[in-house]
Amino acid sequence: MWGDAWQQLRRSCLALACLWIIGGYAVAALYGEGQYLYYQWQDRAAPYNETHLDLQYQAPVLAHPFGTDGLGRDVGTRLLQGARIAFQVGIVTSLIAIPIGVILGCLAGYFGGRTDDIIVWLFSTFAAIPGLLFIFAIAMVVGKGLLGIYLGIGLTTWVNLCRLIRAEVMKHKARPYVLAARALGLSHGRIIFRHILPNVFHIVIVTFTLRFSYAIGTEVFMSFLGIGVQGEPSWGLMISNARLRLWYGVWWEMAFSTLAIFVIVLAFNLLGDALRDALDPRLRTREG
Amino acid sequence: MLHFILRRVWQMIPTVFGVILITFVLFNVVGGSPATMTLGKHVSPRALEEFDEQRGFNKPLFFGSWAKTRALAAETFDHGAGAWRASGEFVAQAGLRLTNDTVVPLAFPLQATNAYRLTLTYRLAAGAGAVFQGMGKQPLAGSPSTPLRAGKAWQTVALDFRTGSQPTATDLVLRVTGGSLDLRAVKLQRGVRNPLDSQLTFYLVQLAHLDFGESSSLNQPVSVLLKQGMGPSLMLMIPILIGEELFAIVLALGCAFYRNSLLDRTLVVISVALMSINYLAWIVGGQYVLGQKLGWFPVWGFESWSYLVLPVIIGVVSGLGGNLRFYRTIMLDEMYKDYIRTAIAKGVSKSGVLFKHVLKNAMIPVATNVVIALPFLYTGNFLLENFFGIPGLGYLGINAINSSDVDVVRALVFIGAVLFVVANLVTDLLYAWLDPRVRLE
Repeated sequence: MWGDAWQQLRRSCLALACLWIIGGYAVAALYGEGQYLYYQWQDRAAPYNETHLDLQYQAPVLAHPFGTDGLGRDVGTRLLQGARIAFQVGIVTSLIAIPIGVILGCLAGYFGGRTDDIIVWLFSTFAAIPGLLFIFAIAMVVGKGLLGIYLGIGLTTWVNLCRLIRAEVMKHKARPYVLAARALGLSHGRIIFRHILPNVFHIVIVTFTLRFSYAIGTEVFMSFLGIGVQGEPSWGLMISNARLRLWYGVWWEMAFSTLAIFVIVLAFNLLGDALRDALDPRLRTREG
Repeated sequence: MLHFILRRVWQMIPTVFGVILITFVLFNVVGGSPATMTLGKHVSPRALEEFDEQRGFNKPLFFGSWAKTRALAAETFDHGAGAWRASGEFVAQAGLRLTNDTVVPLAFPLQATNAYRLTLTYRLAAGAGAVFQGMGKQPLAGSPSTPLRAGKAWQTVALDFRTGSQPTATDLVLRVTGGSLDLRAVKLQRGVRNPLDSQLTFYLVQLAHLDFGESSSLNQPVSVLLKQGMGPSLMLMIPILIGEELFAIVLALGCAFYRNSLLDRTLVVISVALMSINYLAWIVGGQYVLGQKLGWFPVWGFESWSYLVLPVIIGVVSGLGGNLRFYRTIMLDEMYKDYIRTAIAKGVSKSGVLFKHVLKNAMIPVATNVVIALPFLYTGNFLLENFFGIPGLGYLGINAINSSDVDVVRALVFIGAVLFVVANLVTDLLYAWLDPRVRLE
């Protein structure tokens, strides 16, 4: 299935382009992380945070290919840092959501009965709470900053994954290879993790790709509303800063931050769709 | 059918209870008392205690006989003497050293005729004597007329006592004679008369009375705020919902009709692109282009219906992408089914097929989609309301979050979840009514 999917993926120019774009952003994010760590280590204020009031509001020129913002900071380097934060959010929230969703989904699908009832109750309850509100509430309770974002987004996105995995595991449980494994006397844990899980893993990949863009978008909202990242440049903060300047004709900060977000979200969405079509078209009607 | 309805309603109850539990865990267990968040850091402990008392935060969490009190902060004397500065001397590695009669520094008088427990981890030097007393010079009711024991090792003792009818802040005294008493940990707990009187039962009782508490930032009962905010939110969201669905269905029908033509493929690409544009960009762009530059619509406020036009337009356009893709998928799935092929073979025209068969059968997922979207109407749209200054529930919610107004946020979360569960129920019933196959399971 994987080889087949990869073949199909390679044939689609669009999917490849998306992969390249995501790769590019990832490199930018790593570079941004490197920059951040370097300045942390040196214990200096990073240049993208220093204010140079004399350089305010400069239109894009060679030295500052994306212009400067209200405090004279170079928009380009701040965008790189924004990429770093976006990727951090995407990865950490996936690290929180995926283990929870996969483990609970497998347990529910495989064992059925009581365990299934409890887990279904658990994720129905989580699913019932309006998503954005729940994320904000968690962020409010845990405190402002990145931890609130990680926990908030992580604790709400595991639900869908759990549902899908549970459905797939239930289908696989009835298949002959599982019955054969049971007949051989393999333990439950081994059957789940070494036999069933690799067969449902494609759901994890597709969900990860689609949820990554959602995580980035939500982080942008939260930083914009002031609940998220403080201090570090994030795309949401940049849009928030740029908003007021727009009336004065300072278009570059707003335009480039929006463009940066748009491109990466689009890339993830298209890639997620392509992956879904390649790996399991039956998942299509679900998320639309 | 009735059996089906009853069964679904019965299944709803654990979910609602689960939601109550989650809101409780989130706001009471994890969040703890929001008193310092809401009132600030430089407020007297007495004001904090009153805040807690009003909202039930000074009770035990689930079940218990002893509750916290702010009259005496629990100290472990790690870094300094804390509130006991005036009474004793801080000795590193030993904690607090008391050498003569010390008044326990209560921040405010304890509650009258109530049981309390003072837990001390102490070490009494050999040859010294220490007695815990209260109410001026009388020995206290309960165990502590027993003096503390001397010894080299640290000991922990729980001293239970009852307050009199008119307690003051200087009632409790530690009488130390002939030596030094080292304290490593001090904790004061308030006795709770009824062990079932906990934060959880307080919350449940509040909910049973439909009392959602009081907003700490606006000083109004939350139910009043909810009623006020619901109107504008609905006025904003209902047109958006109707607009979104109508446009999406019409365009999806068009896609299905002209399947795989240029129109279809362009629409797919456009809808994915539209979906990817961040909501913020829509709002800011819309405000800028339509509001500022072209000056067609007002940008902020809620004076008359014209103020709603711009947010509705933005809401519809931004939601269009996702909905269009979804409906297009559904319609295309319908089109590939066998009975459609039969109809076309029979000679029904393409438009006849679309409007008579596909639309009707595709209505089921559409209807369920609409019903699922209903609960989100009431939270309004946070961003739209925030940006356009529409005083709906979303606006209320954002302000509450920024000012750490726990009651409001908790009420919004709870009601949102309950509405969602009810909407799910209605969806299932609707589905069962429209599609008889579902009823039989």
